[in-house]
Amino acid sequence: MPDEGAPADHELLRRHVAGDADAFGELFRRHRDRLWAVALRTVCDPDEAADALQDAMVSAFRRAADFRGESAVTTWLHRIVVNASLDRLRRRAARPALSTGDEQAFEALVAQDGDPARTSDTRLDVDAALRLLPPQQRAALVLVDMLGFSVADTAAILDTSPGTVKSRCARARARLLPHLVHLQGNRSAGQSVSPAQGGDTA
Amino acid sequence: MRGQMTHLDTDVLAEFRAGLITGRRGARITAHLGGCERCTALDEQLAGVRSLLASVPAPTMPDSVAQRLDTVLAAEVAQRNAAGRAAARGEAAPADQAERAGGDGTRESPAPRRPGGNRGFQRLALRVLAPAAAVVVLGAGVYGLSHLNLGSSSSSAASSTAGGAAPTAPSVAAGAESAGHVNAPAANPSKAAAVPRGIARAGFSVVAGQRNLTQANLAQQVRVELLVPASARRTQTPTPQLRGCVAKLADGHTVELVESVHFEGKPATLVVARTGAEDTAWIAAPDCSDTYRHVLATTTLSSGISGP
Repeated sequence: MPDEGAPADHELLRRHVAGDADAFGELFRRHRDRLWAVALRTVCDPDEAADALQDAMVSAFRRAADFRGESAVTTWLHRIVVNASLDRLRRRAARPALSTGDEQAFEALVAQDGDPARTSDTRLDVDAALRLLPPQQRAALVLVDMLGFSVADTAAILDTSPGTVKSRCARARARLLPHLVHLQGNRSAGQSVSPAQGGDTA
Repeated sequence: MRGQMTHLDTDVLAEFRAGLITGRRGARITAHLGGCERCTALDEQLAGVRSLLASVPAPTMPDSVAQRLDTVLAAEVAQRNAAGRAAARGEAAPADQAERAGGDGTRESPAPRRPGGNRGFQRLALRVLAPAAAVVVLGAGVYGLSHLNLGSSSSSAASSTAGGAAPTAPSVAAGAESAGHVNAPAANPSKAAAVPRGIARAGFSVVAGQRNLTQANLAQQVRVELLVPASARRTQTPTPQLRGCVAKLADGHTVELVESVHFEGKPATLVVARTGAEDTAWIAAPDCSDTYRHVLATTTLSSGISGP
């Protein structure tokens, strides 16, 4: 959040379009930690995320004049970052060596898990589980459940309907459940329902 | 069990909790949850997924990424300013010239270039100075722009202003002039160092990049690649075949960057060498070697670093 008296996002963007050399940098730095989180969680790889964020930053810099103010500047920035991230995933999908969604790779990752209560392991497990999701589901889930965006804002960022966002999130949560249930601490202890049981009896 | 309904599927429960199932079907689910411990437990686990995801701390951006973005942004600003000034003089922008010169690689040399300081900032980072690194001092941060690692003997130079070579004084002055409104320059050049020739015949590292370069924006993309700090890159050892290819392309000129990339979606290698007053970038196909000069595209990066 900007300090009191700091120029608003749309004002910085306006100054940038008008030729101010520093305005875009100030705007981008203001949001870049969050944008980084979006990119990293969406592409699941730090190097790819850095590339995606760089692509997005350059794109936003050059296309700032296209911003029409129909959405918040942050929504616009997030949309560009998500699109750049999904672009990179599409390209990566064309390269077989780096495929995502590999269940075996996931099992290998969680097999190293010693103490599931530790935060670092939780993060690793969540990171690994996120890779199992199709990119579109992952992007929606990251925005809503991990970064706290509203369904409406997420729909604007992903350029889709709120219903689609809800549906993607629901499917993603259901998909992740069996992979994350062991991390839920006391909640599931003693009354755990195995995913297989829960899944095939409906 | 028609009235009671069977146990709930995880997907159905997730859709219900997302507000996608309402009306009579929703009411039946609510009723079922009221009397089924098993589905209630599943429901709680599903809620647990959400709270677990929300509890994972957001990752912090690594310093190397922040520096890289700052560098690229500074280059963007410098280029925009240069383009603006050129437009004000009624000329084509330098970037446009380079773009035209690149293109399909079949064009003649670019329009006559106007030497000057505008492109100094960009050019500053393009220089690879002996033995391994160009060190650019940009206001708050120091970025080691090591495009070329000459092996273990000089690897420590990449991150050290004392150990490595610094940009020559004239090039820093040019950079400071154009970048002054971007970052307060704190240029502190040491002595100019001789640029070794024929590096391609010596050992070099390949930047393990994953950029997808395109024909349409090749010159600009190559510029950006040359600006990315070495600290943000991974390197690998070249194959003998690639070494031969680079030697063939560079033809004795100083190699500035060898990077594994994708070109129009297909694996390729970007090779940049300083060919006289300008840089030449080649996109080499995977089967390029010392006997097969297989180039998919090429572009010339016009130089403003050397002055008139």
